[in-house]
Amino acid sequence: MGFLQPFALIALPLIALPILIHLINQYRHRTIPWAAMMFLMRAKRMRKGMARLRHFLILLMRVLAVAALIFVVSRPLSGGWLGSIGMSKPDATLILLDRSVSMEMQDLQTGQSKRSAALKKLAELLEQGDYGTHLMLIDSASGQLQEVDSPKALLDIPIAGPSATSADIPGMLASTLAYLNANESGRVDVWICSDLNENDWDVESGRWQAIREEFAQLEGVHHFLMADADLPSSNLSIRVENVQRWERGNDAELVLDVIVRSKGNRGTRRQEVPIEFEVNNVRSVVEVELDQQGASLKGHRIPIDTKLRSGWGSVGLPGDANPLDNRFFFVFSESPVRRAIVVSDDVKNGEAFRRALAIPIDPRLQHQIDVISVDSAAEGASLNRIAGEWENTGLLIWQAALPRGPVAEQIAQFVDTGRVVMFFPPGSSQVSGKGNQSENERLFGSHWGAWQTPGSQQIFSTSWWRGDTDLLAHVESGDALPLNELRTYRYRSFESPGTPLARFNDDAPLLSRVATDRGAVYFCSTLPTAQFSSLEREGVIFYVILQRALGWGCQALSVASQRDAGPDVLADSSAWELVAPTDNSPLLSQRGLHAGVYRDGAYWTAVNRSQIEDSATAVPVETVDALFDGMSYRRIDVDVSDTSALASELWRIFLIAMIVALLAEAALSLPGKRTKTTLSMVPTT
Amino acid sequence: MLQLKRDYLDQKVLERLSTLQLHARLPMIGSVSGKHRSPIRGSSLEFAEYRKYVPGDDPRRLDWRAYARNDRYYIKEFEADTNLRMCLVVDTSGSMNFAHDGMRKLDYARRIAGTLAYIAAQQGDAVGLYCAGTGFHKEIPPKRSAAHLSAVLDELGAMEASGETGLANVLHETAERVPQRALIIILSDLFIEPEVVRNCLDHLRFRKHDVAVFHLLEQRELALEFDRPMRFVDMEGGEPILADPTVIGAQYQRALEIYLEDMNTVIQETEVDYHRIRIDENYDDVLARFLLGRTPKRHK
Repeated sequence: MGFLQPFALIALPLIALPILIHLINQYRHRTIPWAAMMFLMRAKRMRKGMARLRHFLILLMRVLAVAALIFVVSRPLSGGWLGSIGMSKPDATLILLDRSVSMEMQDLQTGQSKRSAALKKLAELLEQGDYGTHLMLIDSASGQLQEVDSPKALLDIPIAGPSATSADIPGMLASTLAYLNANESGRVDVWICSDLNENDWDVESGRWQAIREEFAQLEGVHHFLMADADLPSSNLSIRVENVQRWERGNDAELVLDVIVRSKGNRGTRRQEVPIEFEVNNVRSVVEVELDQQGASLKGHRIPIDTKLRSGWGSVGLPGDANPLDNRFFFVFSESPVRRAIVVSDDVKNGEAFRRALAIPIDPRLQHQIDVISVDSAAEGASLNRIAGEWENTGLLIWQAALPRGPVAEQIAQFVDTGRVVMFFPPGSSQVSGKGNQSENERLFGSHWGAWQTPGSQQIFSTSWWRGDTDLLAHVESGDALPLNELRTYRYRSFESPGTPLARFNDDAPLLSRVATDRGAVYFCSTLPTAQFSSLEREGVIFYVILQRALGWGCQALSVASQRDAGPDVLADSSAWELVAPTDNSPLLSQRGLHAGVYRDGAYWTAVNRSQIEDSATAVPVETVDALFDGMSYRRIDVDVSDTSALASELWRIFLIAMIVALLAEAALSLPGKRTKTTLSMVPTT
Repeated sequence: MLQLKRDYLDQKVLERLSTLQLHARLPMIGSVSGKHRSPIRGSSLEFAEYRKYVPGDDPRRLDWRAYARNDRYYIKEFEADTNLRMCLVVDTSGSMNFAHDGMRKLDYARRIAGTLAYIAAQQGDAVGLYCAGTGFHKEIPPKRSAAHLSAVLDELGAMEASGETGLANVLHETAERVPQRALIIILSDLFIEPEVVRNCLDHLRFRKHDVAVFHLLEQRELALEFDRPMRFVDMEGGEPILADPTVIGAQYQRALEIYLEDMNTVIQETEVDYHRIRIDENYDDVLARFLLGRTPKRHK
């Protein structure tokens, strides 16, 4: 048996209190001169038997009551013989550990992070109780299920250490379900250690309903949530965006945006915070003034050696509540020539694509656009002609019937390497590539349908689009793209498993994105020329989405890439050499889960926490509790002061014991029937 | 009337009891004529019995009427009236200091003894006093004079209680020292074993004494009604006892019960005039009850 508040056991000597009170009471006597001593002496002699035992039992009951009270306060836990009374032993215990950046938020007094505090407490609980024959860990960083030797090992193993990743709690529960279904375990305890970060819990996700339903069908699964949603009084995080290396004459410089976010209450007083830049082992410090939200340095320039074509750097903040968001790594390289290939079955449309892509956003960028006819592409001649450039192409515009065969495979590989393909409908009624291809010929699970005309309506208008992310996101100034002004005269329906990014007023998709592991695949249902839509004529939308697609596609071409930490961020982690940080380098298996800079020959990769980790807030505990409706669930705050949910299994036993002891004491203390002496006052003679 | 200056004697009580007389339950052998029966035939007006004439008898005491009826000689005998020797034995052990509302058992005994002494003296009986502490604290043999009564009353007023009880020894001694039949009145709380009491009473009864016992008790001794632990200090100098009455109350009651039952048995078997008294009772009522109880019943 263990205790959640073992310090309360210091009060155990208080069990002597009833005896002490008894003794004090004995000495609290009054003195009285007494004549009938012979009866007192006889009475005392009589008490040597059952009466003395009764008195002893009363004292014992009082001692037991006090002891039970102390045990109640000390929060006894299941385990040992008492545990077998309060709760059955689990066959297995699964630990779902949130290793996200926000879990590294520290208590500034103890220097202990939420993750380590939760692990320490959990290890204590499991050590004191029974955790079954299997102790399994699912960590949010790797998502892998691994067996752990003992609860104490949780404190040392790397897979329970800090990471720069985000967590996916519903995904971890789904993994748990998969394990439970595969192993048909009996009684299983599932412990979730998390800080209830909104991003990690994704409470709006439809997955929760399915998870609840599946868990409801399993018997003997108990969920324990060790939650620590307390926010620090204040915390700063830093990140870098838009790192670019430019040359001006004989000089070179890095241009980057630095964003400092502030969480918590820093007071109304403005204060300055030093930001330390490190590039090529050269350090510099810039003081920025913080307001309530934080601060930002847009277009900050750092001069570098012209010979430094690529490399890495970092920005850092002074230490605060969360050490993992105080440093951000970045890598840079020369901007590559942005190449795009347009495959079109129509000259006008091909030219429209070329014009929109040829003009760079920044005059320092170089764009190279190749337009080839679909016939040449299908024969492979043109593709072969530009084969040398294929590896350096970031965007492929395919405005023709969907290809098949080697060309389709080539395009799939193109996407797998992180680049972007945009499919536009073939201008003719042809739905598929050369020959007698089936109407059902698909690429990326999609295929074109028939052309749609507005009928009695004059045009199709755009009724809905996603302005928060992806190609149609609002521009930097915060203004939305003018999709409501887009006029579409004809569009071609398509069937696709992708997610629509924009819809017409008849609910048909205008733009859709197909989910892929890397890169991006888009389907657009109309063409830019005036015969089909106002995309080319009004220009802005068309230009922005093509430039964005080209920019993202070309990111894969850069030798320097910024990535969010995750298990698959480094495809072959052994090939990547850790460049920074040099201290506390992670194990090979943990690379990619920690922030740092990795190098593989000429390629650089900076791994950092995802942007959402800097801004996410905690989900209210009531909302989290509601997620577990219908499941066996108890929430336990990591703060030891509230562990009543767990301890209740055993403290009830001690509470009952205390009540029984008090009742027994009361029963034993009841005065016996005092026989009134019938004293005859008349002479008996 | 005797001029009384003793505060334990109450004039009103004496006046109230003046109509009552102290009677002996057994024939007494007194020195002078009195109001009590004597075992010796005398010349009182009270007929006792007929007895056959034997030579030497005074022929004047022959009942000629009986001779005329039966033709036999009978001597007509009459009761002899004599006075009474009353010996007051007062327990002066420390336990007699136990008090109720300021009234000690000794004070209570003093009032009863003083009043009885006065009543006895008034009817011409001899009064003696024996103070029983560890031994005889004071011994005043019974005499009839007014001066002697004054000495007895003075001693009653002056006596104090202390030390262990020696009542048993004193009673045995008294049984031997009082030479002729007497009324022995014992005033004590009798906190001694009933068997010891039995021996004393048997001894007194063997010596033909008429024995009356005033057993003085106090309410708290009977109930032991305390709600907290008490340190009971022995008033006779023994070891104090620390006890919680709420705990040992039942046992105390049981011990008291046994004691009283045993005492009842002793009283019944020794046939003494026994009065169990709570000292919160009015002593004049107790005395009235005592005197009336001893009044001889008239023969019809």
